Amino acid sequence: MASTENKLHAESRTEFGKGAARRIRRAHKIPAVLYGHGSEPVHMTLPGHETMLLLKNANAILTIDLEGTEHLALAKDVQRDAIKPVIEHIDLVIVRRGEKVVVDVPVHIEGEAGVETVVTVENSTLAVLADAFKIPESVTVSVEGLEAGSQILAKDVTLPAGAELDADEELLIVNIVQQQSVEELESELAEAEAEAGIEREESDEDEAAEGEASEGESDDAEKADGSE
Amino acid sequence: MLIPRRVKHRKQHHPGRSGAAKGGTRVTFGDFGIQALEPAYVTNRQIESARIAMTRYIKRGGKVWINIYPDRPLTKKPAETRMGSGKGSPEWWIANVKPGRVMFELSGVSEDVAREAMRLAMHKLPMKCRFVAREGGDF
Repeated sequence: MASTENKLHAESRTEFGKGAARRIRRAHKIPAVLYGHGSEPVHMTLPGHETMLLLKNANAILTIDLEGTEHLALAKDVQRDAIKPVIEHIDLVIVRRGEKVVVDVPVHIEGEAGVETVVTVENSTLAVLADAFKIPESVTVSVEGLEAGSQILAKDVTLPAGAELDADEELLIVNIVQQQSVEELESELAEAEAEAGIEREESDEDEAAEGEASEGESDDAEKADGSE
Repeated sequence: MLIPRRVKHRKQHHPGRSGAAKGGTRVTFGDFGIQALEPAYVTNRQIESARIAMTRYIKRGGKVWINIYPDRPLTKKPAETRMGSGKGSPEWWIANVKPGRVMFELSGVSEDVAREAMRLAMHKLPMKCRFVAREGGDF
């Protein structure tokens, strides 16, 4: 469950525009805005490193101390730089104790599906309606022993107590499909290589074969070690 | 190989290469991805070659997504031709990739396998790239 100890000291922001925002970012701080419940938006500056650490937890509830006044907030949108590990701006939405909020919760897969299958996660998050202070960190979906052709829909996911589904019940979460056969894969790749004019050297095939053989040997050795 | 079925203009200007990617900068479909760190024109042959390299390594497990499409033609004038007399004939189909763009995604394999498959694929691409994982994923 989300922690309530996530306190951040914010400074109010008086100058706006890209010049001011860049000055804030150069000082290792993050421009942010706080809004919600019909109140006027409040522009502020948050400490860069501490905010980044708190936002590593999905759907963390933050306590914003803005010049003596405390606000409880949830990060609604986090803008990150495409390449550098930098947060550019945060939208915070005010939450109140006992209020229910809609949040996207990550889906985690556990277990091994049946043999010769490929597990594809079609939707990696699920929208749930939960108490703002009891937001589940993740939703776990088991694919143990499922055969090809099986599908897990949003309605099949077991949600933690107090959380309700806020998405289409027929939303596909996990799809389990049949693995391609060796012959199919080889013929498809050979065709693609021929079309693209890629010539495989014999040494490549030898290396691949050797790699497979050594993998097999090492697996056997591991099994032997385990049995001792 | 990826190639548009029909285009409005057969010969186009070279696409702009400045700036960073505006979208497609996060791993969305799979668990892992290859992210471009430099701008480049990626040809359909390079895309196909990278896909084949990845698929050959992961064998039958896993699924590969290609998030870029070579929809821009580049032209070339024949060798030893005097300048003028119109634009050359279309020679390549390219995707205009800008820094930050996640070009390929992969799921259904372990991180070690994904790293090696993507390392092999990166050698087929014309720019510096890096391996990225999905935010909030299991890895």
